[in-house]
Amino acid sequence: MDVKKIAITGITAGLCLPLALFAIILVPIPGLPAASGFWIPAGFYFVMTLWFGLWGALGGHIATTIAMGYFFGYTLHIWMNGGIGDLIAPLVCLIIFKVTKARPDLRSRKDIAVWVVAVVISSLVCGLWVHTIHLFFGIITWPSWYIGVLTYLIGDTMAVLAVGTPLLKSLTDYVKQSPMYIWK
Amino acid sequence: MTRTFFLHIEENSPLIKLHPLLKISFLITVNVLPWIIDMPLLLVIMLMCLLALYKIMRIPLKRLCKFIVLSIVIIQAIMFSYIFGSKIPGRIVYVSFPWGTYVSDKTLLYAITVTLRFLNMLIGSTMILAVLRDIDIIYGFLYLKIPYSIAFTISLALRSATIFIDDYFRIRDAMVLRGVNFDKGNIVTRARNYSRLAMPLMVLGVRRMIELGYILEVKGLGDVKKRTFLYEFPLRPIDVALLMFMVCLVVVTVVLKYFLQVIRFPGWPFS
Repeated sequence: MDVKKIAITGITAGLCLPLALFAIILVPIPGLPAASGFWIPAGFYFVMTLWFGLWGALGGHIATTIAMGYFFGYTLHIWMNGGIGDLIAPLVCLIIFKVTKARPDLRSRKDIAVWVVAVVISSLVCGLWVHTIHLFFGIITWPSWYIGVLTYLIGDTMAVLAVGTPLLKSLTDYVKQSPMYIWK
Repeated sequence: MTRTFFLHIEENSPLIKLHPLLKISFLITVNVLPWIIDMPLLLVIMLMCLLALYKIMRIPLKRLCKFIVLSIVIIQAIMFSYIFGSKIPGRIVYVSFPWGTYVSDKTLLYAITVTLRFLNMLIGSTMILAVLRDIDIIYGFLYLKIPYSIAFTISLALRSATIFIDDYFRIRDAMVLRGVNFDKGNIVTRARNYSRLAMPLMVLGVRRMIELGYILEVKGLGDVKKRTFLYEFPLRPIDVALLMFMVCLVVVTVVLKYFLQVIRFPGWPFS
């Protein structure tokens, strides 16, 4: 494994891990252990994935898996499901950026539009994944599925847009100097 | 005392000398067992044993104080989730909700069972975290035949998480000194205030990532195919015996629950 990838994954996980814990404590959702109404780390690992590719997403996945499972062990499927969902979401966002040839520095209107749409789609895909798996396991009921997907969509989209947008706009030029940046 | 992962290491504890493989195995066992067991009485016994182990291993129980807020948040979420969103069959149904769930005589007992599971995991994990050093993670994973790069990444994640927690509080304090109130306002205001912490944290994160990339390259981490290690942790017969005991404990629990159906919910004295 390339050492730069180790650095990206390890540091992203280290950065997102305390943020995941704080998000769970500061904005908890009654009834959903290890969940938060404002998933702060999502803003970070979405941005890291757009800058550094798969390894940023993997870091986010490790962080959320450790944060939700290691300390707040609820049941195995909830833990793994949430962790995998958080791996899928930023990758969907990255794929949308690659397909539409948008740039993460959000210079043009097209980039901003793609960013907003990509975040909404990614959060929706992730919300659908997590809650449909919960439904199959019998953890939630059909009415809770709608509420769950909606709150997931709103909570994740809000967090990613509120945290991620200023990060992408102001720090992308700084990150471009790094050899780890994937958009050459 | 040396600080490592979220806690300061308890250097007086006999657990500190435990083989890294045993520390990692204990961590896995203490999280797997409560996940398998759903019999409240057995979970209470396990909790008592863990608390007794704190005393025997000379780890102060005050270590658990910093997790009280977390525990309350999680316990309320578990209770809320099971009371309003579950269908646990029982002899009597007390309340039925329009969204299809109900509260039976077993609902509260099951919610308490899940809470006990969580407390066992938290208390057991905290005990090991109190004696877990960076090298334990790496060597423990290597003994489990996990590749060095993965072991190093996990260790790096936990190590940098500790550093970022310090950074987070430093930045937060600086913002509080400038007049930001993080505890006031509705959920949107609070979320907006917290999102402002993102920029300095991310700058620190990216800077560390770039520097670390260079450092690891300079140290030749990626070039060496067969690594040599500074420390050696030979497995003594007592270590092997403890390891076998933990494996047997998990196997016996699985057999008792899934094959003999002895320790199933609700179990004695609630059945």
